Amino acid sequence: MAVSGSARPQRQAATTQFAERLYRRRRLSNAIALTLSCAAAAFGLIFLFWILWTTVSKGIGGISWALFTQPTPPPMAEGGGLGNAFFGSMVMCVLAIVIGTPLGIAAGTWLSEYAGARKLGTVVRFVNDILLSAPSIVLGLFVYTLVVAQMGGSFSALAGALALAFIVLPVVVRTTDEMLRLVPTQMREAALSLGVPQWKVITQVLYRGASAGIVTGVLLALARISGETAPLLFTAFGNQYWSTDLMRPMASVPVVMYQYAGSPYESWQLLAWSGALVLTTFVLLISLAARALLLRNRVPND
Amino acid sequence: MIDTAPKPAQANASTPAAALKMAARGLDFHYGDIQALRGVDLDVAERQVTALIGPSGCGKSTLLRVFNRIYAIYPGQVASGQVLLDGENILDPGYSLNRLRSKVGMVFQKPVPFPMSIYENVAYAIRHYERLSRVDMDDRVEQALRQGALWDEVKDKLKRSALGLSGGQQQRLCIARAVALNPEVILLDEPTSALDPIATGRIEQLIAELKEHFTIVIVTHNMQQAARCSDHTAFMYLGELVEFGATTQIFTNPARKQTEDYITGRFG
Repeated sequence: MAVSGSARPQRQAATTQFAERLYRRRRLSNAIALTLSCAAAAFGLIFLFWILWTTVSKGIGGISWALFTQPTPPPMAEGGGLGNAFFGSMVMCVLAIVIGTPLGIAAGTWLSEYAGARKLGTVVRFVNDILLSAPSIVLGLFVYTLVVAQMGGSFSALAGALALAFIVLPVVVRTTDEMLRLVPTQMREAALSLGVPQWKVITQVLYRGASAGIVTGVLLALARISGETAPLLFTAFGNQYWSTDLMRPMASVPVVMYQYAGSPYESWQLLAWSGALVLTTFVLLISLAARALLLRNRVPND
Repeated sequence: MIDTAPKPAQANASTPAAALKMAARGLDFHYGDIQALRGVDLDVAERQVTALIGPSGCGKSTLLRVFNRIYAIYPGQVASGQVLLDGENILDPGYSLNRLRSKVGMVFQKPVPFPMSIYENVAYAIRHYERLSRVDMDDRVEQALRQGALWDEVKDKLKRSALGLSGGQQQRLCIARAVALNPEVILLDEPTSALDPIATGRIEQLIAELKEHFTIVIVTHNMQQAARCSDHTAFMYLGELVEFGATTQIFTNPARKQTEDYITGRFG
């Protein structure tokens, strides 16, 4: 009795010591992991802020009313702006969204509601994912051969918008598909159990449930195409002058930036930086709007 | 093993010769290769509450889902046999789904209000069947919400989103939505399993009120709930109807050993 009585506290002490050591070791590895992940995050953020800072500091000097109203100047000339490029970008982006969104929503709806897990649906979803990650210059070349070459080699804003629409399409298909699949199955069953036909259930109930997500997808697609250069190079080409003709070449901010940033003229370089700043701000605002929309529509319970 | 429950004496004290509203006859159900119902025969009496009980996977929800053919939206799910509604076989492909679902409403386990206002949730279904003037529609919505025992709580916020209601209120809204179409039968699939005891109490009270006008079939995991609010109880096990009879008889004097084991909590 006496032996076991004295052995017990000893064993207990040993256990405590072991636990103590284990605890210290875990705290150490935790500290190391935390430091490494913080360093990695900081590394990424530093470059992000560096890019932003460069854009702001170099571009802010060129921000003026004339930037938005004057057309692109000839080399060496004073003044001028990016008015025609902003206008062209706006026209082509809006057109691309107008073409890509209905098609994308229709295709995404088919994938989610009609194809489901069927073989064809899986194949289409896979192909859509390939299109989603296709290099944008390939899409530009595709539209070049499909439209520009067919029309006797004449570049046009319409061709540019088409190329951009090919970027919008897979993004909208994907988000529509995913957002609709997030709507609980029971919502479909509840609506169908009222005797409402499927197309009405989709357009009147499911779209409402998924609308915030789908609109977010469209906004993110807009943010993406507003900065695309490659698909416009062989399609909309670019234009030094004001043009509102969809069948003629049209200027766009990214293409003008590409040309001006590589030029030896300082006034052109400044315009390129200013264009970059405006574009970045625009994309930032769109992303913020998309986030706000998603947060606002989050349902409080579950 | 072929036997389903030997029909116990139907002329029980609590069932004064109620008319037959719905009936399953030799009903089989397959999820692809898996058979979920085996030759089920069940009588549902008009304006009474019929409860389906049994352990998980016994087929009680499946049976309920056959009653308004909601299963038909999934390929690979097949029902064979007969389900009679007022003597007509609803499994007959010629029986219109629209007609069936206007007569047989359903409320699900999880409350699923549509992402619209409270008013629109109810009006949406009505509008699909009838063209009503604004005033008539207001009346119908009010009437449905009253029948769903929700009117007093929501009458001042009809335009607000239904998603802001509490779980119990949402479920009563779903009941009101089903009731708004003036169906003849209401199917309740574990309507209170996602609710707290107080909300559950309100729904059970509501069921007692609704059976004045509607025939009700309820699936429940809660034995007390079946005992409290049903007139007839069917006990199912492994896709078969083991025993069916007046609720008092099932709970006080079950004819089959399996039924007794289940209701006394020895398995399931």
